[in-house]
Amino acid sequence: MQVFLTQVLNGLQLSMLVYLLAAGLTLIFGLMNILNLAHGAFFTLGAYCGVAVASATGSFWLALLLGPLLPLVLGAVLQSMLLQPLAERGRSTHLDLALLTFGLLFATAGAVEWLFGSAFLAVPTPPALAGHVSLLGISYPVYRLFIIGVGLSVAAGLTFVFDRTLLGATLRAGVDDRAMVTALGVNINALFAAVFGLGAALAGLAGVIAAPLTSVYSQMGITIVVETFVVVVVGGLGNLRGSFYASLIVGMTNAMSQAYLPEVEMFAIYALLIGVMIVRPQGMFRNVERVA
Amino acid sequence: MSEEVTIARTTARDDISPAAQVRRATFVLVGSAVLGALALPWLSTSYATTLAIEIMIAAIFASGINLLVGTTGLVSLGQGMFLGLGGYGIGIGTTVLGLPLWLSVPATLVLVATLAAAIGAVCTRTRGVEFLLITLAFSQMFYGAAIKLRLTNGSDGMSGIPRPDLGLLGLNADSPVVFYYYILLVTMLAVAAVWRIAESPFGSVLAAIRESERRAAAMGYAVSSYKVGAFVVAAVTCAVAGILQSQYTYFINPDSMSWQLSGEGVLMVIIGSTTAVAGPLVGAAVFVLAKQGLSVLTTEYMLFFGIFFMLVVAFFRNGVVEAFKSAFRSKP
Amino acid sequence: MSTLEVRSLHKAFGGLDVISNLNLTVPPGQRRAVIGPNGAGKTTFLNLITGWLTPTSGAVLIDGQAVATHPEEVTHAGIARSFQRNLLLEDLTVVENLRVACQAFHPCRRVFWRSKREFGDLFEQARQAAEWMHLTDILEVPVTHLSYGQKRQLEVALALCAKPKILLMDEPAAGTSPQERARLIDLINRLPKDLTILLVEHDMDVVFATCDIITVLSYGKVLATGTRRDIQEDPAVIEAYLGRRHARG
Repeated sequence: MQVFLTQVLNGLQLSMLVYLLAAGLTLIFGLMNILNLAHGAFFTLGAYCGVAVASATGSFWLALLLGPLLPLVLGAVLQSMLLQPLAERGRSTHLDLALLTFGLLFATAGAVEWLFGSAFLAVPTPPALAGHVSLLGISYPVYRLFIIGVGLSVAAGLTFVFDRTLLGATLRAGVDDRAMVTALGVNINALFAAVFGLGAALAGLAGVIAAPLTSVYSQMGITIVVETFVVVVVGGLGNLRGSFYASLIVGMTNAMSQAYLPEVEMFAIYALLIGVMIVRPQGMFRNVERVA
Repeated sequence: MSEEVTIARTTARDDISPAAQVRRATFVLVGSAVLGALALPWLSTSYATTLAIEIMIAAIFASGINLLVGTTGLVSLGQGMFLGLGGYGIGIGTTVLGLPLWLSVPATLVLVATLAAAIGAVCTRTRGVEFLLITLAFSQMFYGAAIKLRLTNGSDGMSGIPRPDLGLLGLNADSPVVFYYYILLVTMLAVAAVWRIAESPFGSVLAAIRESERRAAAMGYAVSSYKVGAFVVAAVTCAVAGILQSQYTYFINPDSMSWQLSGEGVLMVIIGSTTAVAGPLVGAAVFVLAKQGLSVLTTEYMLFFGIFFMLVVAFFRNGVVEAFKSAFRSKP
Repeated sequence: MSTLEVRSLHKAFGGLDVISNLNLTVPPGQRRAVIGPNGAGKTTFLNLITGWLTPTSGAVLIDGQAVATHPEEVTHAGIARSFQRNLLLEDLTVVENLRVACQAFHPCRRVFWRSKREFGDLFEQARQAAEWMHLTDILEVPVTHLSYGQKRQLEVALALCAKPKILLMDEPAAGTSPQERARLIDLINRLPKDLTILLVEHDMDVVFATCDIITVLSYGKVLATGTRRDIQEDPAVIEAYLGRRHARG
């Protein structure tokens, strides 16, 4: 029972980490129709930014603040300087852009390796969050609870922004009808760049908070981004709420298979994905058909 | 339909009036290429022979991907799984089960075809970026299995994969030159077979599906079974490349199923342009040579692979063959 | 010579009835037009007949035989259609478009070990289909380079390749110039007399020039069926198009 409870919490923690990535990926796909395969690169960049800041200043909290900043800027620049012009040139479909970002994912991993070497780096857990708390009869690391807290806060924040604010309304309208939003006088390119930056920043945030838990290495983004893809497909491409539930499902599947069926750990979530695709090719949580 | 893939452009332009000229030129070109390939081990160094072997194996892999990406318009990022399955198939067949190679190879290909039919049936329910993601997921699943399973010897991979026994012909396939001719023969057969399929009535349905899936259905084609058919042919072709690859290195490991390898295959297809028969060959040659060149210049392969990939997709979309052709073609 | 029969066809999207209890019979060889105000359900009606949409209830029959429910099966059952918006194999030549369309009914369609050029009869069939729609001069031109009017002709020609018993056309004249329209009318009128045709069209010149009997749809229901004069004098039709006041006056 205690093992089970620990695994539930671990699953929740993993879910929240993946959710931070999936939320950005989903927003970008939903709004711009760009499958950003390079999303994992922002995770890597966030983590390395965290390593650099933490080792220079000794402050995890400063790293937490600055880590998402670089991805934010790079993401906005990537969208407005590279992807948007290519999309406007009309030659590139969203499949082309997906392939382009595929190249970017590997280029980033290569660049990071070139700058930082291929060694595995680590960020110490901040003292304030070190140690364990006892919870329902088990002792659980505070830091993992912190990750769960960050994930849930981001989910709540995004839901609030999306459902209750003018910005959210504009975004929802943009997902439905891009031309209409432009006609209403919204600078759609600026909005795209901002959302792309925000999505990248969330991935960067995930990178920073993951750093004390996992080792930091150049290809960390490539590994996690595939799990993120599973989440966004299971959740229904472009569906923010769906990606939250799908994160929970994927995170739990991963944690439970790790604990109880270690031989299937590497492919349990893919089996899940395939099951979903067979039953509902449009994703579990997508109720509105995309117009092809 | 914005989902319609636009990677490919024209395929059959064979009935254009100066077709005879083109055909003659093609014949001369293909003929001299074959002659050159036959003479290569006698004309140059063993290094060049090694490179040529790598190019040919890559070309088979790219041909398989091209049937899916170029002809049918389905962009897959998971073809590495079939390359790996080919290698692992004969690896398990010969080293674990102790079967002879001549039995392991056909058994592997039949298994891959069966598996591809099942996987294809699932994957082809989607299209566009979702197809790309689900093929990726499948390949990651097999990648995970190859790392985890004891049967495949985990991440260490399997060694001791045999080359064909050519003793009856008085030849030893361990000799680089003999192996080179073996690869050359299989490559010519495989590339010709894929080309024939693309030019067949079945292949023209695949092109119709690429251009407009709805129209193909309205014409009376059961679109999904054709897509699964293309998926199976592509998978078997990639498995052939995997078998040769594992024989070339006597070795197979999970990296052959990696995401990056699948991406490299798609890159070769894009470099070579999806429209030309020679596309996958040219793409494979450019890619393998560029990779070799880079490895001389730098150890940061991944960085340059990524940048190279981006440049090709952004600025060289229709491939070098197409760029070459349009440079020589007077536009009307 | 075949009869198209639609029996109490019903289609609801969510709670909205787009087609309700629609009955319609087109006797063999008839040229029937289906007209109606925007949103009357005309294209939905065609999509239901051709398997692109599944009816909530009701049936479509050819000569009393129920038609299958997938687009490709419907084509094989003898109903072919053209689309309102061009759906062509843009990067292939005209002749290849037609050849592939003819090939769907050829035993070689799944053959992958022989070259498509070995099946010369398909090129012959493609040329015949091109002749019906006046495309013989541009056989080798890739579809992307065709004029809009030529594309509309090819759209119909592709449907003809299926050698249908019943031809459905979804606004063949949509977006064409007056010259292109005149040409299209002429081509439609030259089609074999035993071909049963159902034409959905907005342009009344095309309708009157090609069809004998007209069915008026409104809000998914048949408002009237009859000759040009019948429907022009039908108060329900006038009301649907012009509003109540004009119907009285």
